[in-house]
Amino acid sequence: MAIETSNQCMSAEQAEALLRTGISCRVDSPEPGKFKVGDRVRAKVVHVPTYTRLPRYVRGKVGTITKDHGVYVFPDTLGMRLDTKPQHVYSVCFAAQELWGAEASAKDTLHIDLFDDHLEPI
Amino acid sequence: MSSHNQQPDADIALRVKAIESLLIEKGIIDPAAIDTIIDAYEHRIGPHNGARIVAKAWVDSEFKQRLLADGTSAIAEMNLTGFSSEHMVVVENTPEVHNLIVCTLCSCYPWAILGLPPTWYKSFAYRSRAVIDPRGVLREFGLEIPEEVAVRVWDSNADLRYLVLPERPVGTETMTESELASLVTRNAMIGTAKVQLPSSPHEQAA
Amino acid sequence: MNGPHDMGGMHNLGPIPIEENEPVFHSEWEAKVFAMSFATFGNYFPVDETRHASERMPPGKYLSSRYYERWLYALELLLTEHDLLTQSEIEERMAQLAQADTPSS
Repeated sequence: MAIETSNQCMSAEQAEALLRTGISCRVDSPEPGKFKVGDRVRAKVVHVPTYTRLPRYVRGKVGTITKDHGVYVFPDTLGMRLDTKPQHVYSVCFAAQELWGAEASAKDTLHIDLFDDHLEPI
Repeated sequence: MSSHNQQPDADIALRVKAIESLLIEKGIIDPAAIDTIIDAYEHRIGPHNGARIVAKAWVDSEFKQRLLADGTSAIAEMNLTGFSSEHMVVVENTPEVHNLIVCTLCSCYPWAILGLPPTWYKSFAYRSRAVIDPRGVLREFGLEIPEEVAVRVWDSNADLRYLVLPERPVGTETMTESELASLVTRNAMIGTAKVQLPSSPHEQAA
Repeated sequence: MNGPHDMGGMHNLGPIPIEENEPVFHSEWEAKVFAMSFATFGNYFPVDETRHASERMPPGKYLSSRYYERWLYALELLLTEHDLLTQSEIEERMAQLAQADTPSS
């Protein structure tokens, strides 16, 4: 497995520090993202049998990038201890009707954070 | 979420005790750390932190602008970031827009800002329906959102955590920042309630 | 993983259990499971590995368990997979503790 942990017992002081500062998932990287704000994108239709933060209800659906959050470690590979695979995360806006059909309100939207690897251009 | 398949509490308690004693014996966990963690979430970290952020945004328009533009650094100014709130996005309720936070895949929640999530936020009922029927879910909380108001649902599936900046109620113009903070409820900061004046006929949910 | 945890859009999972004046933990074991898990975050297991571990609970069990039962499942699964603890050690210790709790006749 590529990702090793320290396997050190957490002291009370370390617990206190973790509570106060947390674990940053951001990565400083000049690497540009595959997409930009305003781009129309499709969430990939993939069925990975392992860990993923791409829920089924958005797969295959078309949305719009509304914000580029910057570069973060990729949970889908980190959760398998394979790789941190840093990449851009975007807030993607889907019309409720795109996800749930004509019964949904034409006014409502769903916003979800998706990674470069979750998206394809249309 | 009661179910006949659940293990009785006494069995689980014994199992947890066994694991705890083994992990201490093996030097994997330190009982002092366990006490620190439980004490922090039971006594120090909770929705009062988020309420301070909201009240400050209501009285300080420059802070509010910074909060909406970059939640993480604005909240860091108040020293309120922490575990599971490392990367924050704040979304504003207005007369035209109502925001609702959910995590469909597990129960991601801004722990440092709101404390640990309530049972309803972690429930299968909320996780499954908040995205497909947000207006129905809000009705279950006693909140009817008019058709002309847009409902925005935020699924916190990645490493960003969300906080709703609720609307400041009318009639609070003379209140101080700390008086305002005392009005702000946890549910209002998730989007399942509005902030009410104490005299309001609608009782505030916890 | 197309598991039961990926529940956005599912129907028939009941009314939302709104509890007034809810305590942070409902019992001591919940607090202990939470804190023991927290104490492994980063040092022993990346948080995402813990999330994935709870998703690997068999679907029937996942849907009939409470929140901290799923945390306990994830903690045990990772501790045993990484050879930090065995199921037989847990069973043995449980038996010892149960015996210690029983007043001798």
